Amino acid sequence: MIVSRRSLLKAAAVAPALSLPGTVRAQSQTTLRFIPVIDLTFIDPIYSTAQVSRNHGFMVYDTLYGMNSALEVSPQMVSGHVVSNDDKQWDLTLRDGLLWHDGERVLARDCVASIRRWAARDGFGAELMAATDELSAPDDRTIRFRLSRPFPLLSAALGKAAIQAPFMMPERLASQDPFKPLTEVVGSGPFRFVVDERVQGARNVYARFDRYHPRQDGKPDWTAGPKIVHYDRVVWTTMPDAATGVAALQTREQDWQETTPHDLLPVLKRSGVTTRILDPRGYTCMLRVNHLQPPFDNPAIRRALLGAIDQSAFMTAVAGEDPVYQTAPIGFFAPGTPMASDVGLNVFRGPRDMAKVKADLKAAGYNGEKVVLLVPTNSLAQKPLGDIAADMLQQAGMNVEYAGLDFGIVLQRQLKKEPVAQGGWSAGVGNWQGIDWLNPAGNSNLRGDSKVAGWYKSEKMGALRSQWLAAPNLAEQQRICRDIQALSFEEIPYFPIGQYKQPTAYRSGITGILDGTAVFWNVKPA
Amino acid sequence: MLSYILRRILSTLPVMAIVALFVFSLLYIAPGDPAAVIAGDQASPADVERIRQSLGLDRPFLVQFGSWVWDILHGNLGTSIFTNLPVSKMIAQRIEPTLSLMAITLVLTILVAVPLGVVAAWKAGSWIDRTIMAFAVFAFSLPVFVVGYVLAYVFALQFEWLPVQGYTPLSNGVWPWFQNLILPSLALGSVYIALIARITRASMLEVLQQDYVRTARAKGLDQRSILFVHALKNAAVPIVTVIGIGIALLIGGAVVTESVFAIPGLGRLTIDAILRRDYPVIQGIVLVFSFVYVLVNLMVDVTYTLVDPRIRY
Repeated sequence: MIVSRRSLLKAAAVAPALSLPGTVRAQSQTTLRFIPVIDLTFIDPIYSTAQVSRNHGFMVYDTLYGMNSALEVSPQMVSGHVVSNDDKQWDLTLRDGLLWHDGERVLARDCVASIRRWAARDGFGAELMAATDELSAPDDRTIRFRLSRPFPLLSAALGKAAIQAPFMMPERLASQDPFKPLTEVVGSGPFRFVVDERVQGARNVYARFDRYHPRQDGKPDWTAGPKIVHYDRVVWTTMPDAATGVAALQTREQDWQETTPHDLLPVLKRSGVTTRILDPRGYTCMLRVNHLQPPFDNPAIRRALLGAIDQSAFMTAVAGEDPVYQTAPIGFFAPGTPMASDVGLNVFRGPRDMAKVKADLKAAGYNGEKVVLLVPTNSLAQKPLGDIAADMLQQAGMNVEYAGLDFGIVLQRQLKKEPVAQGGWSAGVGNWQGIDWLNPAGNSNLRGDSKVAGWYKSEKMGALRSQWLAAPNLAEQQRICRDIQALSFEEIPYFPIGQYKQPTAYRSGITGILDGTAVFWNVKPA
Repeated sequence: MLSYILRRILSTLPVMAIVALFVFSLLYIAPGDPAAVIAGDQASPADVERIRQSLGLDRPFLVQFGSWVWDILHGNLGTSIFTNLPVSKMIAQRIEPTLSLMAITLVLTILVAVPLGVVAAWKAGSWIDRTIMAFAVFAFSLPVFVVGYVLAYVFALQFEWLPVQGYTPLSNGVWPWFQNLILPSLALGSVYIALIARITRASMLEVLQQDYVRTARAKGLDQRSILFVHALKNAAVPIVTVIGIGIALLIGGAVVTESVFAIPGLGRLTIDAILRRDYPVIQGIVLVFSFVYVLVNLMVDVTYTLVDPRIRY
């Protein structure tokens, strides 16, 4: 019998209670104790694509626009904007009273430098800058975009809440190389980063920024509305094992765990800890294939394999059988978001007929070429996805070589474009936050510019994306995204393999946690 | 003796140099690319290459090695590729929890394992001996993380006597410091206790057959003096040797224990650095651990002269 750490902890939880009067772990009214998913390695959220860096970014930095949990964008640092000159000029006005943590005033030129640095790293930002003839600061409070063509999604780009959000920084920092990480943290957000108390890999401390002026209008909702802070300090403690974090919640040593593994949820529910899904967009998953090498350089083979994809099997492997935590089938945009649609999804419905898939693959020209499947064995989510993918490909009659590697090696190897015989790869799995799959500008795997692993290239897709960026209203954007999804089912940039939702867990002693990703304003002692 | 110690310390220099070259070469040829890890899953090869250049990872092996050695000779362990923090600062932040854990585990082990081994030898063949040896086999067979979780469940989750995670610096008080280390030390020490108890028993059994022990008994010495004053001192050389070797076990076990109990020590730093391919940090930690290990071996050799006057250097 194999005894895993997880099963041991679960067994422990169902054992009879032996509790004796024990030490009291007092809940602090001034300090919020939080367990992030992983450690904050990079304190520069523009340089890093890690979600934890984005969460850190929203602590210490602010954005010109905010996004609410319904994905609507509204002014945050700006008081408003004026669009003129046939929609080709946007003048954004900063609101009064904005200060950097070093006490200096936030100026428009700081924001101009910040937007430039962000756009050098972010796809949506690059699209915006491609449409911008001139970005300037005519005075201390005005940020001016002079566009070569209308860009209706300008505020949506600047209100992005996904990774590499456009955080504003002082000009002296924002003017530094975007491919080198900043080592200093000076923002204008509701919290200051207490650098002296940082223990890299273990602990990060934030203190309330007393001179922060929240918006006076709106209601707090994710990154939109007033950001009112109720705790003096927020301490992030990194726990290498999520089970230890669960135990720390049970013993009241910690208040809030950002994400809790699904198999430990019953333990927490019995302990009176609240579990909740903050972000209904959850995580969208993909089976990535290499478009440059056989067999997946053949679109007919990619299409034939659609019949083998069992999204429910993938999601059950990651999130268990509870339908609350999984969605299938899904397409190329996060389900439940404005650009998502049912176009083409019937191919994922109904039982899988592997005999037919085998025949279809053969008819499409598959001749037993080796399929090297990259699986990061140290990733909690991607390992089971990889296992299911290997089984599925084998059942479909493909000649699979399972390459179980650590995540760092997978990232390196998937950049290789060579044939498998020369160390290349054929397929791999990935999981993304649903907010990364909101639209064609954010979903880098759908760009069709052959820049990211998979090397999907499509002029049609590029043209559709350009149309979407210029679309004047939501209905038109949705129409184009239906076309994008239809094209995707024809060209198969990658295989969507489902969406799972990851719950957060917190003690009953705290309240006010907002929907979306983990943000720390509005949270207060119950 | 002093000249011997000085000679031994000087002899660590070539050892450290070989370790440094070995580790650097190993990391250089090992798969994985910190630039790819930094760039993430949606990066283009151009992005990764640009990051690689900015980190200086595109330079030839010898240039990188030479630069690293030059820094080391100037007392600089380098800068983390990921955090941009000096490696020496990162190690300094993490060394106290690890040394505390190892020290308490070592003390606990000696206090528990040596008497257990002595008693087992004294009562050889009896139920006491068999019970102690059964415990030793059991403790030796259980992985550290299993012991850790069982202890955490009983003493932290159920009785709520001790914290389940974390570390409190010694500067915050002796009890808070010690409180956080009790469970991890017990978990880490379980294998070590089993090992030392068995070695002590074996060594003592041999010594207890010696003529001078029979003479001591004939002279009417009490059992405690025979066992702990006369026999144990003569059985000590192999025990001290194994305790020294066991430091390596502790270092390896600390990696797991620190993860189970979320202790921010060098073990966790090592794992994080390896998974990220943070070469300067890995190299710095390996150098520190190698130095500690060499020093421990020196201390073991010196201890021989204290327990056995026949040994002279």
